[in-house]
Amino acid sequence: MTVTPKPAGGVGMDWTSMGIGILIMIAIIGGAYIMFGATSVFYALIGIIVGGALIGFGVHFVPVGGAPAAMGQAPGIATGVAMLAGGAGLAGLFGGAWAAAMVPSPGIWVVCMAGAVGGALMMAITCMFVNVIYVYAMGIPAASGKVKTDPITGDTQTEYKSQGTEGHGLPFVSFVGGVIGGFLGGLGGTLIYYMLLENVYTDKALSDALGASALANVTPIAVSLAGMFAIGLFLVNAVLAAYNITGTIEGPHDPKFARWPRAVVATAVASAVCGIVAIGIVAV
Amino acid sequence: MTVKIEVIEGGIPHDQLMIAGLVGSLVCLYLTYLNTVTGSQYFVVFGGLAAVCALVWGSNTIKVLCSYGIGTGVPSAGMLALGSGVLAMLLATRFGLAAPIVAVVLAAVIGLILGFLANNVLMMKIPVMIRSITEMAVIGALSLMGFSAMASGSFDFAGMSSKSGPFLGIVQYGYADSYMGITIIAVVFFLAAIAIQHPFNATLGPSWKQDRMLWLAAECGFLSMAAVAVMSFAFLSFNAACVSLAISIILWAYTYSQYITLSKRDAAFWLDAKPIREPEGH
Repeated sequence: MTVTPKPAGGVGMDWTSMGIGILIMIAIIGGAYIMFGATSVFYALIGIIVGGALIGFGVHFVPVGGAPAAMGQAPGIATGVAMLAGGAGLAGLFGGAWAAAMVPSPGIWVVCMAGAVGGALMMAITCMFVNVIYVYAMGIPAASGKVKTDPITGDTQTEYKSQGTEGHGLPFVSFVGGVIGGFLGGLGGTLIYYMLLENVYTDKALSDALGASALANVTPIAVSLAGMFAIGLFLVNAVLAAYNITGTIEGPHDPKFARWPRAVVATAVASAVCGIVAIGIVAV
Repeated sequence: MTVKIEVIEGGIPHDQLMIAGLVGSLVCLYLTYLNTVTGSQYFVVFGGLAAVCALVWGSNTIKVLCSYGIGTGVPSAGMLALGSGVLAMLLATRFGLAAPIVAVVLAAVIGLILGFLANNVLMMKIPVMIRSITEMAVIGALSLMGFSAMASGSFDFAGMSSKSGPFLGIVQYGYADSYMGITIIAVVFFLAAIAIQHPFNATLGPSWKQDRMLWLAAECGFLSMAAVAVMSFAFLSFNAACVSLAISIILWAYTYSQYITLSKRDAAFWLDAKPIREPEGH
């Protein structure tokens, strides 16, 4: 009954819809420029859009196996895209938030790199222990089903692939893809967080919005708001990218990887819409 | 490409559930405003009920969407719902008394755009995609607003961000130890996300029955509501929090027993496991 005819997707593009999406994004950017001018708030919106697109692009690198991987019938990490991207992104966000809270502020590059390394580290640890479990607990070797030789190491794959499966385990190229994906996801998520915290939820803007006196300490509210909006934006972008992949992907060598331009456009538009909402909380 | 893999047979039509969930949720949210009118805190429990109304509706929306086999797992839909809902809900809290209505409208706009992006730009081409994602953004916003109102006593941004209380005999307004200040909303976010994605994920399959899923959704909602009630001890008076906790536990116990009854009805065979008896004289 529950045969799974998944949406095939393909690598084609719907140019009309894409044009409408890009028009929405341009309208939002233009509206923000008219409202705020070339201020830090406007640059924050641009930063949010770039961060969202980075997340959408990064998700395509992550080797997602889903339920078939849990049964050793497909390569990748045995869970869904949303969970993996959420895990890597939130780990990155913690790293970035820790760096952003340092006094004196270490600057945007250090903060973003702390987030990126946090996400990459999370994915590296996940990928390593996934392989430990595959090899030593399930007793299956790592073999890709999509390519004959590993594009990085040149190891042949087909001899190790069991019949009737799409490959199994986590080949080296997928491991590298996972780390790159975590790096980009953590970078994007932290960029969104930092932009909101430093440029939008400043002490003055938030005190005005709350009707608080200038002396009140509103920093916890700013951190909380920026964090929640970053999590919300991250999950929206990760799930949109997941819908683009429709299920499982092996990593950068997978033919589905070629679909990334669609996801970058969609996540950029989604980030523009969500970003203007996040900015609106201190602007209305 | 867009083959519908599970048929929805019988049960309450989705439109009816949607209207009931939306109206019920909005009415319950406005009932929490009685706190401000009467000066008490006992009406916060309606915030939790508003969230449960939205979650029950949401479980059926997830069923409608995921019956097309979106390929990314049921939880991703719940994450998208809450991720887009939290944006709309937080901005809506700035609009004072109109907050619940603004949350619905704003979430619908965000959901519409996200649905368009998923369906057309990402070429999912699922007939119910746009409508389902729109509904889910609204559900996410309403359930978060309901639980937030329950924990903090208000659906207003200023109310959520400040905690007034006597400190050394002087009434002070603290931001650092408020609902927003210690980011209780992050916990509420995932409590609602679990409650929205679990029911269909747990009951899907050939023997899926709508009533069983809806009772499970209510059960998950009340379980999350009990957790929110525990957290509300930090922000509300002891008596008010006790009342919400008691009501959520009673309703959870009732819905749980209903769900077990329906599971027994739908199961092929039910065997109550007994503890292993120690053999005598070993």
